[in-house]
Amino acid sequence: MFKPVLLHKTGPQIAQEIQACIGCNECLLSCPALTEPITIDVLNCQTLSGAISPAVARFARSCYQCGACVDPCPVGLHRDAMMMLLKVRLLRSAWEE
Amino acid sequence: MSSHKSVPVPAYTRTGRPHLDSANIVIVGNGIAGVTAALEARRYMPNTRIVIITEQIHPTINTPALKQFVLGKLERDQLLAYPAGTERAERIHVVTARVAYIHARQKFVELDGGRGFGYEALLIATGSTPRGLPSHLPGRNFDGVLTLHRLQDYLDLRRRLHEVHEAAVIGGGPHAIETVMALLQRGIHVHWLIRSATLMPHVLDQHASEMVIARVRRAGASVYMETEAVGIMGRVGTVAGIVTKQKQLLPCQLVLTCTGTQPACTLAEHCDTPVHCERGILVDDQLRTSVPNVYAAGDVAALENPQTGIYETRAQWYAAVLQGRIAGAVMAGREAPESFGVQWHATHLGELSMLTVGNPLATGNGVTEMIDTSQGGYRRMTLVDNRLIGYLSLGATQPDSLAIKRIIDDGLAVHDITKALLRGSFDARKYLSQLRSRAAHSILIPQKGYVAVANPPSQVRLLPVTGPLAATEALAQEQGKAHSTQPLPERVQVDAYANSKDEVSPFAGNLPALPELVASGPAPSKRHSTPRKL
Repeated sequence: MFKPVLLHKTGPQIAQEIQACIGCNECLLSCPALTEPITIDVLNCQTLSGAISPAVARFARSCYQCGACVDPCPVGLHRDAMMMLLKVRLLRSAWEE
Repeated sequence: MSSHKSVPVPAYTRTGRPHLDSANIVIVGNGIAGVTAALEARRYMPNTRIVIITEQIHPTINTPALKQFVLGKLERDQLLAYPAGTERAERIHVVTARVAYIHARQKFVELDGGRGFGYEALLIATGSTPRGLPSHLPGRNFDGVLTLHRLQDYLDLRRRLHEVHEAAVIGGGPHAIETVMALLQRGIHVHWLIRSATLMPHVLDQHASEMVIARVRRAGASVYMETEAVGIMGRVGTVAGIVTKQKQLLPCQLVLTCTGTQPACTLAEHCDTPVHCERGILVDDQLRTSVPNVYAAGDVAALENPQTGIYETRAQWYAAVLQGRIAGAVMAGREAPESFGVQWHATHLGELSMLTVGNPLATGNGVTEMIDTSQGGYRRMTLVDNRLIGYLSLGATQPDSLAIKRIIDDGLAVHDITKALLRGSFDARKYLSQLRSRAAHSILIPQKGYVAVANPPSQVRLLPVTGPLAATEALAQEQGKAHSTQPLPERVQVDAYANSKDEVSPFAGNLPALPELVASGPAPSKRHSTPRKL
């Protein structure tokens, strides 16, 4: 049985934020944990649904929620919350396996 | 890279009709609204035939990211809005062609060259075109005069920047401001010509406008207010300077036009049944036009502003994505997944973050205006009956912009958070979490509620509660924990939206349930999931 988990934002709120993402990459450019090339289109798609590629999975595990990605966002979105959701999806897919 | 099949066909049959292919859903335009609509329709209808017809020769890109591209922070591959090959993976057929005419009575579109596509539903997502310089302006055709709108314009600009020392930017909107700042960051001196006395007069008040201009001046630009170009001087066919109406000659090697856009309604005028247009193709809340089975979305669509009742386009990225989603769902025979809500625009204006939601410049009876200039920023709020109807913020950081939009859309009372909103210290996560904890109760107890918004100058329109959290607000008031200091009007009462997918389940926390969340994009195919180099 899953225990309740408090996320930064709910799933639908994160989906809404990803829709509002303008793809400027400022969040990725400011990330201290990103060590290999990942593009924003791939990250946004894989955050919400579907298979998570090995590179995105590594990035999600590397993310330590420092929040450096939040201030540079010109639109006021929360990449840290999106990364948390991605982490949770990764965990859940591991549990299901 | 678009994928399309080139199938040679005879231009016309002996009867004079073009050769017709057919699709269930035909979309004209592959901007973000068009492609989002296609992907959303595919989600609901896995086997339906979807075709996008576009004149654009590249895939959908994140056009707001073009300024980062000019600065050299991004390469072309990083501009893609969806992973390469998405249309192919989702079996969305892309045809590179121009739609010449809509035969709405017979439900087919005619392309240049005689090909045609029959449709069950047609979406016009042709976007916008730049206003550009006046056609009579002397020198407008010199090499070095660019109107920034499409990817090709920015490619041209990026190639020229290394040979430019001074540039002139014409325009007074966010696009012009971003262009000025991008050029300054490249070490280019900028002459910025603004026709009006203030920046963005429909969005910013005098104080906010002066704040932005002061910052841009401090960054090194020469700003000329209430100034227009009356001519462009050239040397051997290349820009050498610009002449203002004050008879100043400003030397420059580049003239960039950022004077706004207008909806691309040309196709709507080429239809055998009139498509009603007025500053854009008029659509209802389901994005239906005046012609059956024809929809419009994106920059070309004019929707009713819920606060003013005026039909206007929303030429913004998020609005286009949202409209694309709604159009896709409606064309697939589903309910619109969400409502548009009020106008919302969040961006950087140079060093400042700007957020404008709803109608922060509203005035009239019943409208309370609040202003705060602390912490080096500027915030202006307008309220009616303790409900927020407009919010403007200028400062070093961007507030939780979508949360503030939700507060306005859902008509939540803001008594407890007025101070925080005004000071720019509003913690949206904490506030909405507290509301959601009350939502867990409201799941069991249906509630009713309403919201009031102001129509200038003095009328108050009552709108039914639409937001998922409005039920919690009504419950809080019933339980005597009301944020509002005044009794709520009783003229309109509707059943509140009690079982929102957005609410926290008291039994499972707020983990996304399986199947996965609402997605605005496809799951990329595994072939395209390998990382690409920056």
